[in-house]
Amino acid sequence: MTTAAANIGIGLWTMQSTAVAPANPSSLYRSFADAAVLVEELGFHSIWTAEHHAWYDGWCPALIEAQAFAAARTTRLRFGNAMLLLPQHDPLRLARSVATLDRLSGGRVDLGAGLGHRDSEFDLVGLRRDRRGRLMEHALETLEAVWRGERGDEPVADGRLPRIFIGGMAPAAIARAARLGHPLMLPPSLTPEQLREIAAQYREQAAEPAQVACMRDVWVEPDRRRATEFADKLSRHYREEAGSWWVIKGDTGFRQPEQLDRQLRRASQSAMIGGAEDVAAGLNELVDAGANFLVLRLNFDFVSPEELAAGLLRLTEDVVPLLDASLGGSS
Amino acid sequence: MRFLLDPGPLTTLAELTEAGEAAHSAGLDGVFLSASPALPAPLVSAAALAARVPDLRIAVALELGDTHPYHVAEEAAVVDVASGGRLILVVAAARDAEDVYGEALDLLLTAFTPRPFRFEGATWKVPANLPENVHNVERKVRLTPAPTQPRLELWGAGAGREHALRRGLGYLADSDADLSELGDAWRAAESSLGAPALTAARARHAAVGDPERLVATLRAGREAFGQSWAVVRAPASGTRALGARVRPRVQLESLPEGLERFWDETVTNSTRRTTG
Repeated sequence: MTTAAANIGIGLWTMQSTAVAPANPSSLYRSFADAAVLVEELGFHSIWTAEHHAWYDGWCPALIEAQAFAAARTTRLRFGNAMLLLPQHDPLRLARSVATLDRLSGGRVDLGAGLGHRDSEFDLVGLRRDRRGRLMEHALETLEAVWRGERGDEPVADGRLPRIFIGGMAPAAIARAARLGHPLMLPPSLTPEQLREIAAQYREQAAEPAQVACMRDVWVEPDRRRATEFADKLSRHYREEAGSWWVIKGDTGFRQPEQLDRQLRRASQSAMIGGAEDVAAGLNELVDAGANFLVLRLNFDFVSPEELAAGLLRLTEDVVPLLDASLGGSS
Repeated sequence: MRFLLDPGPLTTLAELTEAGEAAHSAGLDGVFLSASPALPAPLVSAAALAARVPDLRIAVALELGDTHPYHVAEEAAVVDVASGGRLILVVAAARDAEDVYGEALDLLLTAFTPRPFRFEGATWKVPANLPENVHNVERKVRLTPAPTQPRLELWGAGAGREHALRRGLGYLADSDADLSELGDAWRAAESSLGAPALTAARARHAAVGDPERLVATLRAGREAFGQSWAVVRAPASGTRALGARVRPRVQLESLPEGLERFWDETVTNSTRRTTG
């Protein structure tokens, strides 16, 4: 199994034990490491994690530690975050954690930096959410200083920072990534039209544009009934999070069911669930619109390790060969 | 008495794994990791080691007070869960943070309980309830994930002895600590707690080359302050002697006459078994 999917990463590990899909907390970390071994074997570029804090389901709040656990069992696979909520961390402490992971893994770190959106997470550690942009800039500068050895540690690698995928689609995020020469990581709900526009803006603003990456929820399922079942589960997955957290027009999701439905429809329409040819066509459309790196999310709380392995095999054997050559496929 | 191997400053995953495997095959209880210039975040090293070597307890030396302790609590919880409950957290006060050390310990202990909490210290408030944060802000919060250990093993170190002992925590003494003073502190803690206090002590690398002297040092620690763990600095190559020559000699109050001579004649430093 040596399909080269050089510009495709697989997501998204969050280590949640939810009401819908309860799991032993330690087994979630072992499953993540097992999945990393499989994703590496299948030839993908990277595996991706996402953080949140102080939620009922154990959602992983410390991604670098989780990634070190899986990096120790792999040799080539890279580790990315989509996203690590950079402004919520102590930047010096995080920089040292990342430097440690970078050394232990032999330089296999691709950071991903998002702003974070839950007020309560900023409030946990005494930070103001409305200062998150400034906190992000400061954190990026601190990372660079630690990398160059300016904070008392040894310089990391040749002193050049690893790639930091800047998350979000707001003009400020695009400008930040363009200015710093970092790649962009665009959210899964983006339409190809929106993607085209943002990719063009980024490439216009950046002196040396890096990757334009796009996340997508993907499940290869030729059987229509089973595809619908998966879509329903996916929708329930997002409803829990959106209903509890998302602030839509000043209030939270569950308190305004109609607004919530509208937002969720948008999210579920962007998921690619179906036969291999349809999924490949959808992904190639993103490439055509300007994405040159994809993070495909197959892993959710409701997907068992066995289902995930089967889904990854179908993706590798049936979809990857149909993808645009720029992603590492063969057509 | 339990033994943790302190491999000294490491730079690669291969060295880390070698130390862990050496400790495991020598029958030691775990390893002791601290920050090094190349690997400045020992909790990250601990997570990697947990994936490579089974069973071992992994002690991590950290400084408290130079960052929000909630970050430390979250990272420690993740490492404890990923490792299946094998973490020992050994915390000393960071430079210029002695005055907030006790509060930081209390915040860790509070956060490690699996229930919503509100912490209002002089330095840290969790949640902070800042007026600028308005949506979904809670009055009490839960650290998640909860550590796997019902009570995460937490030891004080350095100048934090009184803080640690008063809270019923373990305490890691330095190898040059005054034995009789440690003994006084230990007995005072046990009498005010009304319960046994856990203490550990470092033994220096130099002593490993001389197992007899190390045995004498550890017996003296046991006598003076109830030393129950030994953190021994040794290279991977010196680990076998720790397991074969030192460890058996300090488990019992005294050994039957003739047993030590028998061991001297029959026990070699060759490897008996290795990790799977």
